[in-house]
Formats: sequence, C-alpha cells, structure tokens
Amino acid sequence: MFTQFFGNYLLNEKLVTPEQLIDGLQAKNNTRMKLGVLAINAGYMSSSQVEMVHMKQSMMDKRFGDIAVELGFVTSEQIDELLSQQPQGYLLLGQAFVDKGYMTNAQFEDAIKNYKSKYSITDDEMNEAQDSNPSHLIDSLIDLSATSSPDMYREYIILLMNNLIRFTGDDFTPLQPESSIAPNDSYITTQDITGKFSISTSLIADEDTLIQFASKYACEEITEMNEYVSAAACDFLNIHNGLFTVNISNSQQIELRLTPPDTVKGVTQAQNDVIVIPIQYPFGVIKFVISK
Amino acid sequence: MNINEMKVLVCDDSILSRKKLKDSIVALGCNEVFEAADGEEAISKYKETNPDVVFMDIVMPKKDGIEAVTEILKYDASAKVVMASSVGTQSFLKDAIKAGAYDFLQKPLDPAQVERIINNICTQGGK
Repeated sequence: MFTQFFGNYLLNEKLVTPEQLIDGLQAKNNTRMKLGVLAINAGYMSSSQVEMVHMKQSMMDKRFGDIAVELGFVTSEQIDELLSQQPQGYLLLGQAFVDKGYMTNAQFEDAIKNYKSKYSITDDEMNEAQDSNPSHLIDSLIDLSATSSPDMYREYIILLMNNLIRFTGDDFTPLQPESSIAPNDSYITTQDITGKFSISTSLIADEDTLIQFASKYACEEITEMNEYVSAAACDFLNIHNGLFTVNISNSQQIELRLTPPDTVKGVTQAQNDVIVIPIQYPFGVIKFVISK
Repeated sequence: MNINEMKVLVCDDSILSRKKLKDSIVALGCNEVFEAADGEEAISKYKETNPDVVFMDIVMPKKDGIEAVTEILKYDASAKVVMASSVGTQSFLKDAIKAGAYDFLQKPLDPAQVERIINNICTQGGK
C-alpha cells in the first residue's frame, strides 16, 4: 500500500504532475530497477555519489556496481545485498519517474527521505507493504474524526485499498478525497451495509474506465460495455463489503448484512457530506463513495 | 459415480460469478452445469434439473440464498447445497448450518475448494 500512497505524496508535493503519475504507474511494471536508486533508497549512497558513478561510467566501460565499489562508496557485499532484494512497488514507481526524466536522483532521494519521515515509516514497514498497519497513511489522507465511528471507517478504507491491490493490481494511487458528488452520467454501482454500522457504498466511473476496471478484475479482455462489466463492478463491491463484514464479525462480534449490489447508468442525485476517495488508474479515475 | 455424470446447479445473481464458477466446474469434467440468477429461480431450477450439488450465493434479489436452501431441503431432504458467498460472518454461518447447508465457501472462491467438494460428492455417488 505504500506504493499507492507514495504516488499520492509525490502528487501533493507537486513533485510529479498528474499526467506524469499516470505515465509512471503505467510504466512501473515494465521498469527494471537500477542500482543507483536502490543504493539511494537503502541509504548506502547519496544522489551525488550516484551521479559521480554515472559520469565515470560514461568515460569507461564498467558496471555501476564495480565503479561504486572502486570509489569506496559501497562494499561489494552491499551491492550483492541490493541485487538480491525483490524490487518494491514504490521503488519501481520512483525508478520509472527517474528513467522518464520526471525526477532526478536527487529529487528521488529527498522525496523518499521526506516521505518516510513524514509518515514515520520504517524501512521494514516499507518492505512489508501490505502486511503492516497503514492507519497513519489513511489518517494523513482523510480526516475521519467527524464520522460516527472513525475506527470502523478507517478499517473499511484500509481493507478497500488492500482489496483493490488484491483484485485489480497495484498500479493505482488514491487522490485527495472529496466530500460530495454532483449528478453526472457515469455508471454507479451501489451496495448498502446494514446493521450496527450502516453505510451506503458506491463505485462511480465513466464507461471506458469501468470497462478497463472490469477487465482487470475479471482477468479477461472486455472491450465494450456489457453485462459482464456491470457484474464485475457489483462483484468487486460485494466481495470487498463481504470481507469487511466477515472481519467485523470476527474481530468485534458485530453482525452486518448486505443488500444485493446494483449498477445503473447516471448519477441522478447529488450526494453531499460523503467520503469520496478517487482512485487514479493509468486508464482513468474510479470514485469510491462512502456515506457518513 | 463418474464426474462427467454429475449435475451441478450454480446460483448467483452475478453473471460473472456464475461464469467463473461454471468454467472451473466444467474444467473438472462436469458436463451438466445449470444456472440460476436469484433464490426463486434456484428453487425452480432445482426441481427441474435435480442436481447432485448446488452452489448457492447468499446475498441475492427476490429470495436470498438462506431462504432458497431452506425451501430446497424441504422439497428434497437429500439435497446437497454449498453456500458460496462473500458474507461468511458468524451469523450467516449459523443461518446456513440451521438451514441445512452442506458446506460454506467464502468468496473469492478458491478453485481447489470447489474441486474438493465436487470430488467428495462424486466419490459418495452423488446426492
């Protein structure tokens, strides 16, 4: 989940533009990690040292790691350690930005350092990604204190982020939340959770975005608006809300129920005082709406 | 009984969920897989096709899965109905047991669990 929030952070700090973010998200999974970014992230090398190695590299036909060791910036053991690590999503995103020239190594170094300290994220947490507790990330994104039950909303939103990763992949970033929805002609899929914690949940997207989202969820190439697209939107919401009710049942012995989900075209009524979490995918924005 | 003689009924209001489950059941060698899109249709399709096993969603329009199981078992006490639902909460589990369900699968469905159930019922000679 840190990958998703790292994108949000870069956007808010204006370190990348929305267009660059979309481009980076798209390129991320085909990006190969380079030693420079890995060494900066691990704190083994500064961005200046990385630039120095690059300069040397342009003068001689030697590998990055060999030059860095020769210059005494890192040990060969550290290079081996970096090479053996599984690349993390946020690093791939950072590498994609550096490769495309949207960020310099120095900007990446500052960004990753500030991001970690701003949200008090330890390196271990960064590496565990989905398993750690991202409460502070959610709280930095949305102020839930005015809701009837901040803990429940927080748990709901954390699960939403994890389920989006689980069922649609990790190439998205949550954008700044909004508090209302104006009538529009997008598709809206709705399901209500009833019981002690009653909320209405919906997913809103325009036709093209919903088709792409459905393709990802169904793991099938869908090219036009059809009943499978609406069903995929309903299924995602239903499975996500279902897993939420199971978690709440197990952890708090609170029994919630769900209404059958439904997809219709056109948001006819304005919704005010709701939590809207826009999710930026490379192919468009999906808005998740949760009533307060 | 042979797996290709087994009859299976899949009840889910989502056409996508039905297709995914049907595909995985057909891949196991079952030739006769029927579909129903809500609880009411599930009951009528059950009477019509007399399946060896039913996979039943819970949250569905018209009649929910728990009501459908209850009615199916009233009609045929030997029916084997597996709940396949996103809401595996304590209270729904209890409801399902009370209604007489054969098993409970939490969505997203694990194809290995579906296979285990189909194979078990097949080995037991169907319904």
